[in-house]
Amino acid sequence: MKFTKEQSLAMYEDLTFGRSMANKIVEYIYGGRINGAIHPSLGQEAISAGILEAKRQTSHEIYTHCTHRQQPLIARTIGLDPFLGELMNKKTGMMKGTSGEYHLVSIKDHHLPMQGVLGAGVANATGFAWALKLDDKDAVVVCSCGDGAMSEGIVYESINLAAINHLPIVYVIENNGIAMSTPIELQAPHEDLYLRAAGFNIPGFKVDGNDVEAVTAALMGAIETAASGQPVIVECKTIRWTGHYVGDMQAYRDTSFLDDTTGFDPVYLYEQKLISNGVADEKELADIKKEQETLMADAFQRAWEAEFPSKEECVNYNNLYSNEAGGEL
Amino acid sequence: MKKMMGVGALNLALNELMADDPKVICVGEDIGDMGGTWTYFRGLKATYGTNRVMQTPISESGYTGVSVGLAYGGYRPVVEYMFADFATLASDGIVNVAAKARYNSAGALSLPITFVFPQGVGQAGCQHSQTVEGWFANIPGLKLVAPTTPADLRYFLKAAVLDDDPVCFFFSRPCAMSIQEEVDEDDKSVPSLTNAAKIVKEGTDLTVIAWHSSLLKSIKVVEEVEKETGKSIEIIDPRVLCPFDKEKVFESVRKTGKVVIANEECERGSFSSHISAWIAENCLKDLKMPVKRVGSYNTCIPFGQVEQFALPQEEDIKAAIMSLL
Repeated sequence: MKFTKEQSLAMYEDLTFGRSMANKIVEYIYGGRINGAIHPSLGQEAISAGILEAKRQTSHEIYTHCTHRQQPLIARTIGLDPFLGELMNKKTGMMKGTSGEYHLVSIKDHHLPMQGVLGAGVANATGFAWALKLDDKDAVVVCSCGDGAMSEGIVYESINLAAINHLPIVYVIENNGIAMSTPIELQAPHEDLYLRAAGFNIPGFKVDGNDVEAVTAALMGAIETAASGQPVIVECKTIRWTGHYVGDMQAYRDTSFLDDTTGFDPVYLYEQKLISNGVADEKELADIKKEQETLMADAFQRAWEAEFPSKEECVNYNNLYSNEAGGEL
Repeated sequence: MKKMMGVGALNLALNELMADDPKVICVGEDIGDMGGTWTYFRGLKATYGTNRVMQTPISESGYTGVSVGLAYGGYRPVVEYMFADFATLASDGIVNVAAKARYNSAGALSLPITFVFPQGVGQAGCQHSQTVEGWFANIPGLKLVAPTTPADLRYFLKAAVLDDDPVCFFFSRPCAMSIQEEVDEDDKSVPSLTNAAKIVKEGTDLTVIAWHSSLLKSIKVVEEVEKETGKSIEIIDPRVLCPFDKEKVFESVRKTGKVVIANEECERGSFSSHISAWIAENCLKDLKMPVKRVGSYNTCIPFGQVEQFALPQEEDIKAAIMSLL
């Protein structure tokens, strides 16, 4: 698949958008400005960027279900400030800072509900794809989950329903090789999870999840397949750089592979490719990166300065029920 | 007017709902040509097709989550679990997802979805006989509806499905497949879920609050007791558990000062316990005797013909009433 310079730079911008965000999250957590277990996309930015580029290029309407590590994709979909507001529990968040980054949903932005319990959102996304099919929409759901969620039974019940009913859905497995502390060899008898597609009689394949162009090309094809009523599984192989959450000391694994990331760093690899292919020079790329870093620093600062929601905003009847028939809080 | 059983009334309600709104869909196991295990989906597939009567594989967890996704996509699913006991498999989609959907959108969206739980005994033992409303009473974001009579099953299923929030609808299989009642097919009214309790029978000396099989048993027992003692006993069917019609219950308790709460849940952690607590908190000075709950033993329901040993019987309800009178 050939990409224009404009498309290439857009992908690079998404990669650096993701990288700047991940670095800022780490900085804010160690700076004591974000509490809670947050899972940054560090090292996995090419998957978000690839989905974003495929979304821009396809003629079909796309709805996405995101993993918790696809923060760049989420922020691009619902807006950076509403995302960061929720990340930091502030009123400026999409849900006014009350329910958190784990559970974001905005149907109008085509962002399908994320759930805190692994696999649940995959079922919801499958049902949403069913609704799109019933409504005869020219639309496809791109539903991501991690290798960890691929051990949840509900994922297979959902893929089964999608296959039986020919739903327009692409299942993206973001396989970073480890679920919290459990490495892939303790999760699965074979490291290639896409092979399970065969059991549902649907296509499945794997792609280098650290190569943004490969991810984009794979998704472009998969989206066409799904649009024709054929669910499909795309496994993106990547590597988790941080702990499960920032602050996780990772006593369970050897992290010396991080001494040299040049072989698998999606941002670095794409920079090298664009320069060596003569698509862009170092200065152009450095400018884009700098621009994203500045934009991100400003957005984080805005979120940091915003107010927390009040008790009344958190314990609020209207947040639970749509009419008077809900009983007392 | 037409005489029908509860399952016929549920079938009537589904037909009315599906005819009125193309977004109403049914999801569940064996609800197609078979018409559902309890028969109330009969004829729906033939009338509305497989796009609206979605017969699923045996995958309660998956089809619950998928139904929630359909609701996010603008549909109004009626999701059936063949036995209420299977709620355990469906619970993540109900408890963690549906119940939290509105909260997780900061009140921006409502999720209209109805989870239907056929419950009560049928000689199928401890995993096919439980009464489970208490399991869900602890979950903010859900509404709990539990009607008993055929007419009420029809009215309140319609109210549940037309409500814009997630509703757990509990009905008793033994009740819905035994007693018959005249149902006015021309009455298209839909009751409110608020203030839904019904005074089944007025009385002044004691209040019985009961639903499902225990309601039917209570009606019979009260007739006997009144004849034997000359006392006057009030019977209340709550019909909706959340929002609970506290005022109607409190008013009755203030009048009689004596309360028996009867339901087939095992006693510990039951919805009856919540009612008892509310009465204690609000009507203590009106009570002449302690509140008495009658439920199943805190045990598993035995298989087959001996199941009755675990359940509240007419004599248990009678003994509770007599101990207070």
